[in-house]
Amino acid sequence: MSERYSIRMERLTKYYNGFLALSDFSLDVEKNRTIALLGPNGAGKTTLMKILCGLIMPTSGRATICGFDVVSERESAVSSVGAIINNPEFYPYLTPDEMLRYLGRLRGMDEKRTGGRIDQVLSMVGLEGWKNVRTEKFSMGMKQRLALAQALLHDPKVLILDEPSLGLDPRGMMEFRQIIKKLKGKKTVFLATHLISEVVQVCELVAIIDRGKLKAFDSIGGLKRRYRTLERAYLKLTEAIL
Amino acid sequence: MSETKNLKTVVRYELLKQVRRRRFYGALGITLFAILLTMGLYQGLNLPERMGLPAQLLERYDAEIFAMFVTSLSSLAVLGAVFFAGDSIASEFEQRTGYILFPNPVRRSTIVMGKYLACLIATAAIIAAAYLTSAIGLALFYGRIPSGIVGSMAIALILGAMVISLAFLFSSLLKGSVGSTIGTLLTYMVVFATISTFLSYAGYDPWFMPDRAADAMSATYGISLEEMMSGTYGGGRWVSGLLRASQDPVLSFFVLAAYACVFLVLSVVITNRREMV
Repeated sequence: MSERYSIRMERLTKYYNGFLALSDFSLDVEKNRTIALLGPNGAGKTTLMKILCGLIMPTSGRATICGFDVVSERESAVSSVGAIINNPEFYPYLTPDEMLRYLGRLRGMDEKRTGGRIDQVLSMVGLEGWKNVRTEKFSMGMKQRLALAQALLHDPKVLILDEPSLGLDPRGMMEFRQIIKKLKGKKTVFLATHLISEVVQVCELVAIIDRGKLKAFDSIGGLKRRYRTLERAYLKLTEAIL
Repeated sequence: MSETKNLKTVVRYELLKQVRRRRFYGALGITLFAILLTMGLYQGLNLPERMGLPAQLLERYDAEIFAMFVTSLSSLAVLGAVFFAGDSIASEFEQRTGYILFPNPVRRSTIVMGKYLACLIATAAIIAAAYLTSAIGLALFYGRIPSGIVGSMAIALILGAMVISLAFLFSSLLKGSVGSTIGTLLTYMVVFATISTFLSYAGYDPWFMPDRAADAMSATYGISLEEMMSGTYGGGRWVSGLLRASQDPVLSFFVLAAYACVFLVLSVVITNRREMV
């Protein structure tokens, strides 16, 4: 079973000081599939992503990544993960090269491999000319590109991406989608977004979440068959007025 | 990857952060300036004579008395430590850099320890520079360096470790860097001092208080402060602040070490449990 699924979520529930952010959420993500987690603001997408990355603890339930429990075996679980969570920031006193070397070492990469890989990922995200410039001078979009570079750095099996195209310009968005498309079938991509166009372009399966609950999990084709369009499925399932 | 290697990595990059920030050079500059100013005023005003220190004492302990005045200013370096450590943990949450740092296969306790060691190394560098300047001054003015300077530096270093631990505790508890820095300064300079003073007034010896233990920095030169102050400004015990220097240095070292350990362990436990909300 653990071979088949990269990510397993079993009845995950999360309360923030009495506020229910995630309710009994269960979902299994098959290996090397690109799955969108689609939901409106405040639906619980980021909460779920944070639990998977070991940044917060579920109130109840269990999640595993590549067979490792994200709470009791956190280090083993996140070693297979590259993540972008919640529009991250970088240390302003470090350059992308230094930042990626730091993260590479923490992820067990050797010095030789890291150097070559840094050039590769910076080139992928279009930051090769900014390798030695401190990130304090970076715009939001550039930081988001660097966030993608660090997520890809150690060539992880699983990518957990929370609103990764936030802050990117149209070219950045296109390039990001091209990168994710190239990873299809090679890595498990779990992508939280509220951009339906992004989902249609890069994902195979869609999980719709609203008020912390899983409303549907199907292929884009399957949802279209049931609701005519993905937009209608989204609006219907997230209780919006049609 | 072993946690030791991870620890070395965190120390290396946190140290890079410390030396690239202006506050490191600010703390170094202010400390050295204060020491040089004290040296100049002490010698220029012929302070021991004007204070009316006993001649016999001056004959025996001229360099030691000078060292007491000068090296006590190394506590300024320790206050610099608050500014290095205050934002160490809180900023990961406040600035959202934790979203990049924490989802890595490294224990949070290793991250906290790495940050702690980096702050300690930065503080130790400033303390070492302060004591080196003091030692050069002693060699120039008196032709000798009292052995008590080594003990004084050891107290300064452990005081630095304690203050950093306290700052880490606040930094792990509070959301903002400014709050944790102010909280540390207020606790160290106001809360601890108030408790010590009231205990003293009530007739208890507050040897177990960190601020009182820190005063041992000037008590390693083998001079009895009671004797030293007997002829000054009318003598007597009213110079209560200075009499504190009679604190036992060895006991004080362990008092500060105990506080450093307790505060650090608490900050590790709290950071481990803290959620990146």
